[in-house]
Amino acid sequence: MVMKKFINDPANLTPELLEGYSMAYANKVALVSEKLVVRANPKPLDKVALVTLGGAGHEPALSGFVGEGMLDVSVVGDIFAAPGPPKVFEGLKMMKRDAGILFVVLNHEGDVMSANMAEQMAEREGIRLKRVLTHEDIAPGADAPIENRRGLVGCIPLYKVAGAAAEEGKSLEEVYEIAERFNQNMATLAVALKPATHPAMGEPIFELADDEMEIGMGQHGEAGTGRSKMMSADETAEIMIRQLSQAVGAKSGDKLLVILNGAGATTLMELYIVFRKVKQYLNEQGIEVARSLVGELLTVQEMAGFQMFVAKMDDELLKYWDAPCDTPYLTVR
Amino acid sequence: MEKIGYDEIASIFNAASMRIRENIKELSALDAATGDGDHGTTMGRAMDAVEKAVSESAGSDLKTLLYNIGWGAMCIDGGSTGPLMGSLFMGMSDAVADKESLDCEALAAMFEAGLAGVRKQTKAKVGDKTMMDALEPAVKAIREACDAGKSVPEALAAGAEAAMKGAESTKELVARFGRAKNLGERTLGHQDPGATSIALMFKGFAEAFK
Repeated sequence: MVMKKFINDPANLTPELLEGYSMAYANKVALVSEKLVVRANPKPLDKVALVTLGGAGHEPALSGFVGEGMLDVSVVGDIFAAPGPPKVFEGLKMMKRDAGILFVVLNHEGDVMSANMAEQMAEREGIRLKRVLTHEDIAPGADAPIENRRGLVGCIPLYKVAGAAAEEGKSLEEVYEIAERFNQNMATLAVALKPATHPAMGEPIFELADDEMEIGMGQHGEAGTGRSKMMSADETAEIMIRQLSQAVGAKSGDKLLVILNGAGATTLMELYIVFRKVKQYLNEQGIEVARSLVGELLTVQEMAGFQMFVAKMDDELLKYWDAPCDTPYLTVR
Repeated sequence: MEKIGYDEIASIFNAASMRIRENIKELSALDAATGDGDHGTTMGRAMDAVEKAVSESAGSDLKTLLYNIGWGAMCIDGGSTGPLMGSLFMGMSDAVADKESLDCEALAAMFEAGLAGVRKQTKAKVGDKTMMDALEPAVKAIREACDAGKSVPEALAAGAEAAMKGAESTKELVARFGRAKNLGERTLGHQDPGATSIALMFKGFAEAFK
């Protein structure tokens, strides 16, 4: 099938989307140096800055979460591709400050390679930073080596929690400790129903039969582990939430943050139906859904499916989740 | 030919770039089988940067030329392709130091330094179904040709042949790095696009002397 998308020259997708996005939310974000999305009102220099990097094509992620209480800089690559090290270094340099930088990297080969090289450049410039590597995908198994576990939607609640701690004036060590605690207590599992089209190439990025679904599918269509015949919302939800709550070691009395993230073509109707079952399942286990969010945070074009995210929360993490933030795609007052 | 200098190195890069450009569609098609299908266009962007660096480096020295080629490749926003290609060329730049021309020994040392640069970025080894499956044998073949007293063009030809064989061998392998890793056994039978790009580049390097 021919790709149907409202685009112009496929070579200009990323610059055009960034231009449009920064125009649409000019009161909150600004685009500088072509690929850096920054806060319209910069954070004071005495507070820890949050910098992240990642490919485009996943809107509103990651740049949709730049703003007060979350990210200071999002370094954008190209469609599904990490930015080069020099650009990432530029983003870090822009945020150079005595208070330091929390550098949030999603575990994907290109992102990590760019981050490594940018960090070497930053070190020579005397830039103070600490890195958090998100790797909460449990598709290869919750105890699989870190290098096999991808960073999925979990980066976004992590920006929220760490961003709030930074905004409160916590030191780099403290912000890092809070971010890392959240990082170690979160898990995501994705499921796909229909492929996305690479918007520059016009081809589907994977194949899936009409009557099949795949649990464990990554956000670039990287295959997962569990291809199966289509299941109902309740069956799918139960398989996924059982694995996720086990992965974070949730027990009766524990409090969870639960996020259902639509991949692009799955309706809110479906997500609410799935959420209903998740909540029922957790209730039966005596596990509290302390906070929840259902919507599109990190998409993969018109891929059908969703990512189910859970994090085990303590009182301090809940406090930071509830703290004010003001970004184009997440606002808490 | 016993030695090559600035002009020859510039021309081998332009030849490599031409080889990649002719195969952009094929490279993307290989990537579509196990990845997101954009490897060809990403390599095309890398080659834009290489050609731009070659033309803008005119009048500089060999080390600067290779450094600029590496930095240019690194600046493309192409996931792991930029850092890997960039560190290959920047590693080569380190090795030539202040030399104005390279004999076969210096050529082999240059490619070995490029390979060392890539190894700093990835733990991938031969057998992991990555660019390493073409790069390592190419560098090894160039070294062996030099040790056997071959000329620079003969060494590059040996490198090209080894790289192509290495790229073809990836069909029999299961991916252990990059996005394709998640496909596991499903990657069998597909040739790795990164290894193919390296093979095309080395083919271009060799053809520059034909």
